[in-house]
Amino acid sequence: MGRVRYSCCNGMNDQTWIQQALALFRKDILAETRTRVAFGAMGVFSFASLLLIALAMVGLKGVLIQNSSGQAVPAWNNSGKMSLLWVLLCFAAFAGLSHSFVYEEETGTASTLKLHMGPQAVYAGKLLFNTTVLLAVSLVITPMYMVMTGMDAGTLPMFFAVMLSGTASLSAVATVVAALAARARSTGALFGAVGLPMLTVLLVLIMNAARQCYIRSESAVQYLRPLTGIVCFGVLIVTLSAMLFHYIWED
Amino acid sequence: MTVPPICLDVRGVGHRFGARLLYRDISFSVGNGDVLAVTGHNGSGKSTLLKIIAGLLQPTEGSVELAMNGEVTPPSRRSNFIGYVSPEMALYQELTAVENIRFFGALRGQTFEKIDLREMLAHVGLKGRGSDRVGDYSSGMKQRLKYLIAIMHNPELLLLDEPGANLDVHGTRIVEQIIHERREAGFLTILATNEPEEELWAGCVIPVATV
Amino acid sequence: MGSSALKGTLGFLMVYVIYGAFNIAHGAIGFAEKGIAARIIFFHVPCAVYSSVAYMVATWYAVKHLWLLGGTNKSNTALEDSDYKSAAAMELGFLFCILATITGSIFAGVQWGSFWNWDPRETSIVIMLLLYASYHLLRTAFTTDPAKRARLSAVYAIIAVIPSIYLIWVVPRVLHTMHPTTTLSNPADTSLSYKLVLYPSFLAFTLLFIWLMQLRVSTMKLIEARRKRRLHAMEAQR
Repeated sequence: MGRVRYSCCNGMNDQTWIQQALALFRKDILAETRTRVAFGAMGVFSFASLLLIALAMVGLKGVLIQNSSGQAVPAWNNSGKMSLLWVLLCFAAFAGLSHSFVYEEETGTASTLKLHMGPQAVYAGKLLFNTTVLLAVSLVITPMYMVMTGMDAGTLPMFFAVMLSGTASLSAVATVVAALAARARSTGALFGAVGLPMLTVLLVLIMNAARQCYIRSESAVQYLRPLTGIVCFGVLIVTLSAMLFHYIWED
Repeated sequence: MTVPPICLDVRGVGHRFGARLLYRDISFSVGNGDVLAVTGHNGSGKSTLLKIIAGLLQPTEGSVELAMNGEVTPPSRRSNFIGYVSPEMALYQELTAVENIRFFGALRGQTFEKIDLREMLAHVGLKGRGSDRVGDYSSGMKQRLKYLIAIMHNPELLLLDEPGANLDVHGTRIVEQIIHERREAGFLTILATNEPEEELWAGCVIPVATV
Repeated sequence: MGSSALKGTLGFLMVYVIYGAFNIAHGAIGFAEKGIAARIIFFHVPCAVYSSVAYMVATWYAVKHLWLLGGTNKSNTALEDSDYKSAAAMELGFLFCILATITGSIFAGVQWGSFWNWDPRETSIVIMLLLYASYHLLRTAFTTDPAKRARLSAVYAIIAVIPSIYLIWVVPRVLHTMHPTTTLSNPADTSLSYKLVLYPSFLAFTLLFIWLMQLRVSTMKLIEARRKRRLHAMEAQR
């Protein structure tokens, strides 16, 4: 190419995986602002589910039931509402988070990426992107849900901690399952069916933590213990996924 | 620009998909300024051999070594020295040509000034089309952009799978020009092709056949 | 142990356990139907234990498979062997999980008057069932490429270890349990007549597990050999 001189040289080849992951993240965000497939699918999906839940539970408004200690409590209470919010977010995650992997596989850009960057960087970039999208969706959906169902936030710091750690762990599980499912031909059906059983455990933990938002407690341990469970789950999933990602991504 | 001594060593490479053996015992050694053509009928595994050379696929037998200055590059870093044009490697349709260039450049730590971008686009005959989405490009224009991205970091080794695919006369001349310039500069180029005219660009030909 | 010795011992032990469950063990005090209901534990508890043990075995072979893949010396037979063993253990785990769920539900129906109580252990075991089911679902999605299927299902098996560990240790503590955790985990509380049947029952289920594993792995090898023969025949025709 003698005649054309580019502003680069071969010494600039060693990009760290963090820089590569950030470049991939920026690329995905840019593509997402163009197409809005992931955000749109998850947004519409969760808004429709939100309506369905609110409508299905209208009949429960004002109904009292007896709890295990014999007191009359509202049937449609805050912890019930919070649990259903998480079911909703869980389904929303499975409506949209497979897009970024499936898209790369289907359009043939996956091989181009394989040439240019290592598997760890791809995993980090995609995890960052999926977490961002899911956080954005829950940031929009949660206030809407609170308004429509009349859910209280309870203890605010605990509420935010649960939302943040729950969303991050949720996207960690969804990301690795999406990468697995994207390698199969019938991705769509597989993604939900393979991912949801893994999420059931996380959902049990999150619902348990969410209940703590509405229990007045003096000691911080009462709040920290359920949160630790969620954070550990997410950290373990991310660690194992990062270690095993090249087996999923490469041929 | 001085080019370091390059040596690509392919030793006894064989590959099988499941129970199907593609080929076995392919060996050759090429270096600076060589242009090599890999030929063979459809399904003979030309593209697979290129993927193995690029380190995207592990051969079931044998090994591939790319040495720079006499030092063997580890397979994980090999792709830093490689440019690859292949029908299987697509670009991002919803991004513009410039955004594609910037993204793939960023993965290698390259940043570009506007003036560089304009020159690069003009070089492959895409002058003034930089801010169009790749999805709106014709297949020949996509192929030209792939060339641009494959050579923008001056790779020591350029792999071309079906080099003339979708290109018009002008596009083919650009490719010919690129190969010629690389030969003069002392870089290594390998093509996988079935076209007799494209075989003529190469200094030597390796036929790949199913056993 | 040879195959026939294994089968012989297994047959003898199973007959003993079935006989002993009704004739050696006494009716347990505090259980429904004069303690008759408690006799199901000789089958329920080993099934429940083996539904988790099978998962550990499957994970072990999944790790072995990926470790072999990462190594320099890749032998196809060793790779296939670890994959089949992992898959076979997963199938057996699924089977034992179903059996434990059914026997547990029967017991709950007789003892607590309802076949499903949303007890934490009941919840755990259905989630475990789901995890097993999704593993097999993932396998069915890669029928054309056995190597890819082996690799990806091994990855799934290893990652799903995290939810299953949580199922065993964390989930039952999170939810209030009504299961008699102490009776069986503390040997001093179990009467001698129960130990006489329960311990041989664990041994019998261990042998059953090993025997079924061997059977399943050899059928998988036969199926794969037939598939390869067909492929070769097709190649020869061309």
